[in-house]
Amino acid sequence: MATTTVLTTESPDRWKYLNNILTRRGPYSDETFEPGDEPKRFLADLKILVIGAGGLGCEILKNLALSGFRDIHVIDMDTIDISNLNRQFLFREADVGKSKAEVAAAFVMKRVRGVKITPFNCAIQDKDDEYYKQFKIVVCGLDSVEARRWINATLVNLVGEETLIPLIDGGTEGFKGQARVILPTISCCYECTLDMLTPRVAVPLCTLASIPRQPAHCIEWASVIQWPKEKGDLKIDMDDPEHVTWLYTKALARAKEFNIPGVTYAMTQGVIKNIIPAIASTNAIVAASCCNEALKIATTASPYLDNYMMYTGDESVYTFTFQHDKKEDCPVCGNLPQALTVDPESKLEQLMEKLQERPETTLKKPSLRTSSKSLYLQAPEQLEERTRPNLEKKLKELMEEGDELSISDPGMPFNLRFIISFSS
Amino acid sequence: MSVPGAPTAKEKKYDRQLRLWGAGGQEALETAHILLINATAAGSETLKNLVLPGIGRFTIIDHAVVTDEDLGTNFFLDDSSIGLSRAQKTCELLCELNPEVQGHFINDTIENILRSNPEKLKDFTTVVATGDIPTATLLSLDAILYPLGIPLFVVKCVGFTMSCRLALSEHPIVETHPASTVDLRLFNPFPELSTLVDEKAASMDDKEKMTTHEHDHLPYVLILLQALNEWKSTHGNQPPSSYPQKNEFKSLLRSKMWNADEENFEEAIAAVLPHFNPPSIPSETRAIFQDEKCANLTKESTKFWIIARAIKEFSEKNGGLLPLPGALPDMKAESKDYIRLQNIYKTKARADLAVVFGIVRGLLTGLGRDGGEVEESEVETFCKHAGYVKLIRGRSLNEEYEKSPRAQVISNDLSDSTSLIHYYLGLRAYEAFISDENNTQRIAPGAEDSTVDADTEKLNKHVTELLDKLSITHSPELLEGTEKAIGEIVRAGGGELHNIASLTGGVAAQEIIKIITRQYIPMDNTVLFDGISSRTFVYKL
Ligand SMILES: [Zn+2]
Repeated sequence: MATTTVLTTESPDRWKYLNNILTRRGPYSDETFEPGDEPKRFLADLKILVIGAGGLGCEILKNLALSGFRDIHVIDMDTIDISNLNRQFLFREADVGKSKAEVAAAFVMKRVRGVKITPFNCAIQDKDDEYYKQFKIVVCGLDSVEARRWINATLVNLVGEETLIPLIDGGTEGFKGQARVILPTISCCYECTLDMLTPRVAVPLCTLASIPRQPAHCIEWASVIQWPKEKGDLKIDMDDPEHVTWLYTKALARAKEFNIPGVTYAMTQGVIKNIIPAIASTNAIVAASCCNEALKIATTASPYLDNYMMYTGDESVYTFTFQHDKKEDCPVCGNLPQALTVDPESKLEQLMEKLQERPETTLKKPSLRTSSKSLYLQAPEQLEERTRPNLEKKLKELMEEGDELSISDPGMPFNLRFIISFSS
Repeated sequence: MSVPGAPTAKEKKYDRQLRLWGAGGQEALETAHILLINATAAGSETLKNLVLPGIGRFTIIDHAVVTDEDLGTNFFLDDSSIGLSRAQKTCELLCELNPEVQGHFINDTIENILRSNPEKLKDFTTVVATGDIPTATLLSLDAILYPLGIPLFVVKCVGFTMSCRLALSEHPIVETHPASTVDLRLFNPFPELSTLVDEKAASMDDKEKMTTHEHDHLPYVLILLQALNEWKSTHGNQPPSSYPQKNEFKSLLRSKMWNADEENFEEAIAAVLPHFNPPSIPSETRAIFQDEKCANLTKESTKFWIIARAIKEFSEKNGGLLPLPGALPDMKAESKDYIRLQNIYKTKARADLAVVFGIVRGLLTGLGRDGGEVEESEVETFCKHAGYVKLIRGRSLNEEYEKSPRAQVISNDLSDSTSLIHYYLGLRAYEAFISDENNTQRIAPGAEDSTVDADTEKLNKHVTELLDKLSITHSPELLEGTEKAIGEIVRAGGGELHNIASLTGGVAAQEIIKIITRQYIPMDNTVLFDGISSRTFVYKL
């Protein structure tokens, strides 16, 4: 095989230190670990997938290449932006605008001889089950909750007699981050822990419209109210400087009218793009931890993380390593529906609004059904039209206590199931 | 496109980090000069994480030539580097990461520099020592750097284990980035605030004098202060202090609601527990006030101590209150009422600042120094953080090794076989092994398969010697964890695993950034990581 040929042309000294770990048993090594050539060969032949070639992804690709992995795929649909360069170290100013996956793969292959990295400049949803089945491990360095839920559910759905693909997931925000190992259906999955995300608190529309107090209120007013009013159907492009400048100017004028200090261009960008601070050091820590787990899982040279490490670096250096429990009523890996209490007097429309406030039900285009009827369907068009009047109806007209409510969304490869109870 | 306030090219590139440490932090980074001793994988990764955010300069001291083994762990070397200077090659590839950073290299050993030109060390903002450096060299470095106040990081990375030791003498931090600096002064409102309460909230129970709209747009701070006035009039002028009293106060607030859905009253109720605290100076701040350096200012006193002293004097004259930070959280209110309230807090904060600034100038001239030496903005930052400042007094390596070892810290954890203290002992034994005068080539324990057993035994012996020297009682049972840690360390044969080196580089760079920017709180003083159990722990040794 090509990969093995490449390996043999390398100096045997190159992987001396990695080989020390693979050819010697450690005091904590699992009984099944057989030191010697086998883990080395296994590592070289194993196919591993990296999702995301951004801050974490660049680190992950470098780390896997220097951990002896030889056959790596990487998927990322993004292109390189100037604000990536403070941490995404495989990119240079001349690369701005190019595909992250392609530039990152080419760089690591050039630097580390013998590694093959296959890039895909596309969305993860563009690949099918057959594609994902070929991998032994998936390492995920994404900043999107939606994409993580998708890959998590996909890997859980793939579990079968011969398939169980561990998902190693990393995430960062400023000085904080986490690394975790998910063994689909065996240990707690991404969906099981969604309630750890902080629910987003939306500013009431009336505050934006009539009583702004904070600079962020003025910025949101500009993007949520004023843009559609003045620009009609034109969509805001957060990366278009003209659009950002327009919003900034409007927000600034509104702030002046209400004597609100503090609207800046950077804050405008931060609010409308929901920018999360990101630095090289935290990415390095979290990505390294993820790849350390990948190496341990691939070779069984040492026990792997079971199953969650939280990291905080703003005050001293702190980690909390623990076993997060699997949720019996997890909509992805569990088999029980969750409980949902609703006000029977409220309208379906209000229920849909309420669902948006919970992290596990924040969906782009949710469709709602009970076991007996469709309550609201987003597509196709004729069904949307037919179910639209239901939005105005009270819940007690549409469902009964004990009914199972099922929510689907084109972005999610699974349904959320709830057993309805009425609040008194 | 030239919009006032639009970001510069540099602001765009550094946007994601400027949101953490601001222009001031960035400027500090850009004037820093980091010395790396030995371009190991962990060392190079540390520099990578500093070059990317735009550190000013770095220098690598290393005498090694690049080997094949280096290529298996260090990303900043490639095939063409083999046989060439490791300092030069890593320097070149690191410089590619950021054209704004200057890299230098010295193709020499640190021992030679210490012998021939120790003055050179004064050029650096921070020193990072990695790789196999004997104890004697580390202690010499420490003896020079610690008194100069130059932070020294000693980084060790072997197999799945790493430790990072920071020798830092005195490090005050003003911008600690607390979650919030809000002080509403509910228990001791200043006159302007009380006046506003009388004007806006005195008739909040009177439906004749207040409309429903006015009532449900009253800022919760005013609701709380008005209700407190009422409470105090029936409670001997005392605010609610016990938990049951606070609950009773919440019921009082609830009884004042006109509708079940008055958000501002809900906000007021939610604010009772977090904001009903008697005024007090937090212990960290108090310790700084009581410090000898605060009491006895000299011509050499740093700005930190001068401003700290001024704030101490301010608080003594103001009934034990610190200067008002001036921040106000968002709350349901009419725009103009909120802004007015915000301005009342801000104006008071500015007035407090003016007083403190005056004291600072007085202190400076009293010391025969220039009264304009300290900028108002520096005093302002301190005033805003007066309740959140932090002083770290680290310990030198010489204290840890020779002058005053903290045996208690080690013995406390010894009986816990899962404690990371065992890795500390294992790495100390590793250091003793490569420092052995008979091991002139600094050959690592476990370098060859044939030496694993003998080297393991040697490391175990180094540990018992160290414990004996520290008068720590030990037994084979107590050292079970240490024996395992040594097993892992010898297994690695002195080699770095790239993942652990990369993680180490992340931790070291993060700590360096916190120290250089003087923002956030660095660890004090040794962090250990075990890559098998994915755990860290910080010891003060
Ligand atoms: Zn689950």
